[in-house]
Amino acid sequence: MEKDFVYMNPDRRSREENGVFSGPVARLQPNMSVEGWPCDAGSAALENYVALEDATVTERLKEGDFFIKGFTRMGELGFGLRGDTAAGAVCGGKADIAFLTDTLGESRVAASLKGLFGYKPSYGVVSRYGLIGLVPSMECYGIVSGSLENISKTVMIISGFDSRDPSTDESPPDFNITLDMKNPTIGFLSQCMALLDEKEKEAFRASLDIAREAGIGVVELGFDDFSLMADVHNVIGSVEASSSGGKYDSVRYGHRAKSDNNWNDMYIKSRSASFGSIVKAYMLQGGYFQYKAYSDFLSACRIRARILQKTNRLFEKADLIVMPTSRRNLSIDIQYSISDIYKTFTFSLYANITGGPAVSVPGLAITEDTDIGFQILGPIREDRRVLSLASILTAAINRKGAK
Amino acid sequence: MNFEAVIGLEIHMQLNSPTKMFCDCPNMPADPPNLNTCPTCLWLPGAIPVFSRNVLEKAVLLCLSLNCEIQHESVFDQKVYYYPDLPKGFQLSQFHKPLSKNGWLDIVTEEAETRRLRIQKIHMEEDVARLVHETENHKQISLVDFNRAGAPLVEIVTEPDMRSSYDAMEFLKALRRQIRYSGSSECSMEHGTMRVDANISIRPEGSGEFNTKVEVKNMNSIRNVGDAIDYEIARQKDSKEKGGEIVLHTRLWDPDNKITSPMRGKFSGPCIPDPAVSTIVITEDYVNEMKDRLPEMPDRKISRFIEQYGLTEQEASLISSELDLSLYFEDTVKKGASPRTVIHWLTSTMMSCIRKRGLSLSDSPVSAEDFAHLLGMLERNEITAKATKKVLSRMFDTDKTPEAIVKELDLKQVSDINELDALVEKLLSGNHDAVESLKKGNEKIMDFLVGQAMRESKGRANPRVIAEIIAGKIK
Repeated sequence: MEKDFVYMNPDRRSREENGVFSGPVARLQPNMSVEGWPCDAGSAALENYVALEDATVTERLKEGDFFIKGFTRMGELGFGLRGDTAAGAVCGGKADIAFLTDTLGESRVAASLKGLFGYKPSYGVVSRYGLIGLVPSMECYGIVSGSLENISKTVMIISGFDSRDPSTDESPPDFNITLDMKNPTIGFLSQCMALLDEKEKEAFRASLDIAREAGIGVVELGFDDFSLMADVHNVIGSVEASSSGGKYDSVRYGHRAKSDNNWNDMYIKSRSASFGSIVKAYMLQGGYFQYKAYSDFLSACRIRARILQKTNRLFEKADLIVMPTSRRNLSIDIQYSISDIYKTFTFSLYANITGGPAVSVPGLAITEDTDIGFQILGPIREDRRVLSLASILTAAINRKGAK
Repeated sequence: MNFEAVIGLEIHMQLNSPTKMFCDCPNMPADPPNLNTCPTCLWLPGAIPVFSRNVLEKAVLLCLSLNCEIQHESVFDQKVYYYPDLPKGFQLSQFHKPLSKNGWLDIVTEEAETRRLRIQKIHMEEDVARLVHETENHKQISLVDFNRAGAPLVEIVTEPDMRSSYDAMEFLKALRRQIRYSGSSECSMEHGTMRVDANISIRPEGSGEFNTKVEVKNMNSIRNVGDAIDYEIARQKDSKEKGGEIVLHTRLWDPDNKITSPMRGKFSGPCIPDPAVSTIVITEDYVNEMKDRLPEMPDRKISRFIEQYGLTEQEASLISSELDLSLYFEDTVKKGASPRTVIHWLTSTMMSCIRKRGLSLSDSPVSAEDFAHLLGMLERNEITAKATKKVLSRMFDTDKTPEAIVKELDLKQVSDINELDALVEKLLSGNHDAVESLKKGNEKIMDFLVGQAMRESKGRANPRVIAEIIAGKIK
């Protein structure tokens, strides 16, 4: 088995090996149900769990003639990027498309680190049925690819109403990329700029220059609540994680610790042994807000609602909001605490809070050693707008490169 | 000191919707174990609850039958607790924003006063799986049956308006009647589709204070609820009089020994809004549509029956106690039988035939029309009461009309004076002693003679006519 995989499709045909098959190659994570495949979501808590049926996305990929090559390695329950191999696969040319659970911005950050496009569709556009997640109100399928065209085609196939997921919209929005946007204006946030170091600022300003050169209006916007973003995500996310992680009791599947006592003893020992330290800490924190600080949780929910309102107002001033995707010198494999993880996703988790579409564009915001990614955020269901701007800017870089 | 009791009830009703609450599995908890399950109600990873419209309909009908206000928005919360009957770690229930509020039911108290008892709220929640404890190879094991997991429940929470076990029992009877009329639940305590918990506290008579309450569970009949409340009131009074303190806890009713005993401390976890189930928005149009679906409810029906059919209040209440009974009654009356005869025969003989066969009135093989024809023959003295019973019983086993059965069994009552006169003449001439005794005023002899005549006629003679003829002859 290739080192990037935890499970490979027993049907080994691929374009290289078998000329008959011509569909795109996709890689999933082991929390995206494929009937009969071991779906452990990167956690011992789901050890030996085999999906009984396909996730809606899996079903649609199969119908769309995609070849699902296998499951890549993933961070436990899709929280953070530790150990994740999905984006690396696309980078190495082994897959046209890789899917990552986007809870905090994993698909966009992973893409920016590998010089790829990373896209999180609007919430409610792609069914989550069969996605074994952790934070239902903020997570969704993220798509990583070297080609925007591939991303647009893929999301058209997997999106649309699903009677098994009531959060899906009646009809999907438009995903057709157009290079003919009428005088778009993009806005960047001063509060966001303040968080960047000099090199990052320089790289980001350079990318704004490219946008201006391409005839795009650039405005500076203010958003006071930007500093609360991570805390809001952290509180709500951990509360949801605590209750959605409650089902992992090691009775029907999952790692069962040895216990000769009663069932409570078995639960406690098994759960203690099953989860990794970060997910365990995250769930415990959520339990704290549930049991001891419920009013703080309510405050976080109120602030989230306020963020949504203010975001709508920002989109009256600019068609799209732009900011970097990640930071310089990130090392996603040595993250030991929840706050380490939240630092990694400072810029990407905004879209998870609002549910709006976001895409990370490579090759634009480059420091001397890192591509920090140029992130485009749009109003909910304006997926076409973010994908189109990404395409326009990519064309602009290519033109510049050709000169 | 005189104490008075303060009682509030929490009633769980299982809705009789075709599907479970959050999936399409049949809502048949009593089927063979784990037959009605899917990834959603097995709470497997990746499944998403989808709230069923058909459950909402039943729940709204139920709330409307209890005079409750349907809330424009209601939300499901996760009630967090860990137990093997709930493998996902939380129960979906409405805590912060329930479906319905501010209902009421009127009861007639022991003192014959009408009193309005308030319902604080009604919310929806899913049932949990059923645990079965068994032994296997001398080892105790626990098995889980998921048929009931995700079955739709509503919880009805009353205000603490009841003051006696009588109030509570009357409330439950009224509640059950209303809900059965709405067609949303079977309301059987015996089968567990209606589960009642009682919160009981006592206070000095006349004071308005609310003291520490004790919750009593595990009653399996309305009678049991009354007994458990009486026991608990007496226990608390006794404890107070002895200077003891009442502490908040839960007690289990033991129906065999008729006592309550404390159970394990109650653990209540937090309730947080569920991120997966969407907010339920109910429009006024929807509520009106549901109101139109409710049948004529008991109170109105009772008044109408009194006015339209000249029934007494008691008769009207009796015949309106169940929807199908009242419908069958009215159908039979419309086909020509007289109301009082229908009530008598429907509530006694007909219902016993139905129960004996394990049927319900709504699926009775005897149509209201045939039943009316049968009662018509009785009313016209064409058949005797005894024959009526015989024919009715036979009507359950054949498709024949009552007229055909009467003919077949030769049960037509003889009321012809000439024919009966000859019969009586013959009878009297063979019973001189009896005739003498009757002449002396021994009234019991009359019954004997009528009985003889009935036997002679193989039950077909009209006993009233026979008695008249005998009386005429011995003058």
